[in-house]
Amino acid sequence: MRKYTTAILLAALTALTAQAQQDYSPYQQQTSRLQALTKQYPQLASIKSIARTNGNKDIWMLTIGSGNNTSKPAIAIVGGVEGQHLLGAELAIGFAEDLLKGSSSDSIKALLNKTTFYVFPNMSPDASEQYFAALKYERSGNATTTDDDRDGKTDEDGYDDLDGNGKITWLRVKSPLGIYKLHPDDSRVLIKADAAKGEKGEYLLYAEGIDNDKDKLYNEDGPGGISFNRNFTYKHPSFTPGSGEFAVSEKENRALVDQLFDLFNVYAVFSFSTDNNLSSPIAYNPAAANQRIVAGYLEPDAKANALVSELYNKVTGMKEAPKSTPAGGDFGSWGYYHYARYSFSTPGWFVPKAKPDTAKKEKALSVDDPTANYLRWAAQQGITNTFTPWKAIQHPDFAGQTAEVGGIDPFVLINPPYKLVPDIVKKHTSFIVQVAAYQPELDLVNVKTEKLGNGLTRISLEVANKGVFASHTKLGERSYWIKRIQVKVNTASTQTVISGRKNQLLNSLDGLSAQPLTWLIKGSGKVTIEAGSPTTGTAKTDINL
Amino acid sequence: MKRNISRVLLSCGLAIGSLSLQAQQPNQVFKGAGSPVRPKVPMSWNRYNDHAGITDIVKKIAAAHPELCKLESIGKSFQGRDLWCLTISDFKKGGDVSRKPAMYIDGNIHSNEVQGSEFALYTAWYLTESFADTKYIQELLADKTFYIVPTINPDARDNFFHEANTASSPRSGLIPVDNDRDGQVDEDGYDDLDKDGHIVMMRRKNPNGRWKQDTKDPRKMVMVGPEEKGEYELLGQEGIDNDGDGLVNEDGYTFEYDPNRDWGWGWQPNYIQNGAYKYPFSLPENRAVMDFVMKHPNIAAAQSYHNSGGMILRGPGGQEDVGTYNANDVRIYDILGKKGEELLPGYRYLVVYKDLYSAYGGELDWFYGGRGVYTFSNELWTSYLMFNKGNDDDDNGVDPSYQFDRYLLFKDAFVEWHEYDHPQYGKIEIGGFKKNFGRMHPGFLLEADAHRNMSFSIFHCYQTPKLSIDSIAEKDLGDGLKEITAVVYNERIIPTHASQDLKFKIERPDYITLTGAKVVASMMVDNRDLGITTEQQTEPATIVVPNIPGQGSVTVRWIVQGNSKYTITVDSRKGGLVIRGK
Repeated sequence: MRKYTTAILLAALTALTAQAQQDYSPYQQQTSRLQALTKQYPQLASIKSIARTNGNKDIWMLTIGSGNNTSKPAIAIVGGVEGQHLLGAELAIGFAEDLLKGSSSDSIKALLNKTTFYVFPNMSPDASEQYFAALKYERSGNATTTDDDRDGKTDEDGYDDLDGNGKITWLRVKSPLGIYKLHPDDSRVLIKADAAKGEKGEYLLYAEGIDNDKDKLYNEDGPGGISFNRNFTYKHPSFTPGSGEFAVSEKENRALVDQLFDLFNVYAVFSFSTDNNLSSPIAYNPAAANQRIVAGYLEPDAKANALVSELYNKVTGMKEAPKSTPAGGDFGSWGYYHYARYSFSTPGWFVPKAKPDTAKKEKALSVDDPTANYLRWAAQQGITNTFTPWKAIQHPDFAGQTAEVGGIDPFVLINPPYKLVPDIVKKHTSFIVQVAAYQPELDLVNVKTEKLGNGLTRISLEVANKGVFASHTKLGERSYWIKRIQVKVNTASTQTVISGRKNQLLNSLDGLSAQPLTWLIKGSGKVTIEAGSPTTGTAKTDINL
Repeated sequence: MKRNISRVLLSCGLAIGSLSLQAQQPNQVFKGAGSPVRPKVPMSWNRYNDHAGITDIVKKIAAAHPELCKLESIGKSFQGRDLWCLTISDFKKGGDVSRKPAMYIDGNIHSNEVQGSEFALYTAWYLTESFADTKYIQELLADKTFYIVPTINPDARDNFFHEANTASSPRSGLIPVDNDRDGQVDEDGYDDLDKDGHIVMMRRKNPNGRWKQDTKDPRKMVMVGPEEKGEYELLGQEGIDNDGDGLVNEDGYTFEYDPNRDWGWGWQPNYIQNGAYKYPFSLPENRAVMDFVMKHPNIAAAQSYHNSGGMILRGPGGQEDVGTYNANDVRIYDILGKKGEELLPGYRYLVVYKDLYSAYGGELDWFYGGRGVYTFSNELWTSYLMFNKGNDDDDNGVDPSYQFDRYLLFKDAFVEWHEYDHPQYGKIEIGGFKKNFGRMHPGFLLEADAHRNMSFSIFHCYQTPKLSIDSIAEKDLGDGLKEITAVVYNERIIPTHASQDLKFKIERPDYITLTGAKVVASMMVDNRDLGITTEQQTEPATIVVPNIPGQGSVTVRWIVQGNSKYTITVDSRKGGLVIRGK
């Protein structure tokens, strides 16, 4: 609680000066940091609220770029995709701060002339505040009241802080029918007994709480809500806890989707969540890609993913991060399958694999387990106070049984200690800036005119995409939320197009490719030919007949 | 027979009383069986109404029948028109109308499919005007509630009537969309070249053309055979290449999106499902309907009127959803749908994905898949109704349209071919069927088919759950304990929870509660004769029942202390509220 007050004070006192952050920022401080950027860089950054949550918090959108932002290709950056993933919001805000800090350099100046960045720093402010609340627990649901177990009652069985330490950890109960046993190398850690190998467990394991409504389920319907990362349209898991009655039912999701559909210039979306297609790219699976309801990346898009992934691992060193499978209704999948843009998602950090400490005579873990690994790594880093020792309690639902509360703290497996954050932000900013160099970009090249006599001229040229990325994803070629490339010949009243189209649409251009076009024009003077689309920008050339 | 006559006389008497302000003489008219003879709201059911007309009618019905009808606006369209909803029920009998099992009816989701609105209005009108003298309707409205939204697409409905259109345009609402993805919106739509309000065909004389006039009716264009020479070429629907891109009518307001691909079950984006907009309920009209349905969990049946083809459609819309409609529910759909085929000559009971085409994110799929509501979409009007034969899929049959127009409509449905000087095509001719023919009912057939479709909805609504506490038995267990066993019966076909509802627990379970006595234990009775029960250990006064099946019952039992009086309440969202004291 004291930490929280201090943070607010700091934010209020030093809104305009860059201060080294000590911990993740609560909502108010995030807001102050964003507002500070718009005050410090009024020419480059502006902020608006795209929604107000049921928890009465603004969903901010920060636009970064110079000049006319809607006429340039754009990248969207989305944080707070999962409320418990505090690093996500920190990466998004940190990206904005780092980028703007560097905006006096020639390279960033050039980038901001060429690319617009739309930053949505925290899509789950109702949920992420739980980290700063009197009772800390990992929460992804917003402030919408829900009946998670669909029994007709809402929020009737949430967590209970049985040991009064202000955080929800774990409850283990000794039982001959237990399915958990102690980790052979670290007795603080519980792992699943493998019944297939004839192993027997000793413990039942629950999140810390009581069966408040006596339905034999623990903490199955607590306060909140719908999870931002489970409420999108791709494979929406309707009626499951946290996903909602139907897709895009929530204000946060609607506001972002509405906003992004209006931003035709966005060609790539970066989001920060536990879903990861950057450490390991999504492999091309022809069967899935060719289904009527497309369920796999189309081949060129999978190639683009692989290319970006390679860059990501080079810049961030995240190659060994555990693989993830999106659960459905997630934002990253929506970004590709339904928004049809390049969509990249990463958790930004993972607990590194701890090497055995030879001084302590440790050996490699005989059973791989994230918690056991974390505890080793944390000890080596000098991180303390992230494990609550098991302590016996009297539990009303387990009278006469040995019930203990303790275990690993919430948040620590997916959020690094704050002191590591600035370096993670720096690497991810650098990565995104380098991806922006792949941006599709049109040019009109090999422009030729041939005089055919009597005022008739043949014009030929190539509409080229100089960027590494295609003008649109392969999937995007099919979506009417993505504009085609329009090629127009602007003639004066004394000029007539005899052959070739005055106005035509190109479906798309692959990266580093060109399409030849030709016209016959009668007349004299200047003709302007322009080719453009929101995701590629516009190229123009003047031709004298 | 005697009883019938006396009832007619009685109703005349009532009518005289209630209509004393009107100057009609009771002896001038005589009731046609099954139709209101002296309605408080006089109506002509052989014409169509725009949104202002609908507004006028719904206000009149609500004002004339305050005890049967309540009017509200459930939201606004994109352009700000009210989405009117009539709640029709007996407000004085049968308890809170929002607790009665209800049927939701809407029309006109596709804006050119206009007659759904008239059919919905006819239903509202008929129920309110027949109530006074029709016992069946009185009983129905004591038990049930109808929510009737005549049009859920009023912007484009008005556009259909008041602007130039074909029979098939506009299908969508009027939010502008850039269909050809060139950055400009609605830059090249139809052009009503002859300014008659109808978009019809363009043809041009051309010795190399492949079309000629039909010898039976020269208005009709037919293709010539393989070794035959034609006289005409067809140039599509009235229009100009307005934006100089070499395409005619490629981006108009007439097909922006499809409002019936915008619902929250099985939704797919537009590259998979043509017509889908941004996400489920991204269109304001559909969102208003969704909000209304979520606030009215008593809705147990629904009908969404379309045109045309004479079909009684049920889901699934998508092949992927076949498993969603399981055998129990299909059996119920079949009972309802087959009755519909009897009541609606020329209509066939069909399944969307199988008999029509796969369509994701449709309204009927959300009502069933997303809310567990048994729902049909009737495709109103079929060419069968022209001469009471054939059907719309009969490829070998002769198109009866020209004959029907000639002999029954006296050529009122056709724009005669006439010359026009086209800026791009030169001398052409314009002609063809008007927008009010082909998909809309001709005036004289509108009322009859509205009545038949209403009768199907009444049957459908009648079959929503009707619960009763069938029997209460008591048994003394000694030591001051009494066992109370109640049987709750649902006498109609539709259960309180569809299988889909049970699978996803969409709606909360039914609650059967005993109050007034101290309950010490309770149980579901699985087999009363053999004494097999399942105890409910928590909150024993309220027994939680997952479902009360159609034409079936559940048996519940409480053990109470003492001998006090008590009340049993059955509280079901889709099955209503039943209270019985003892």
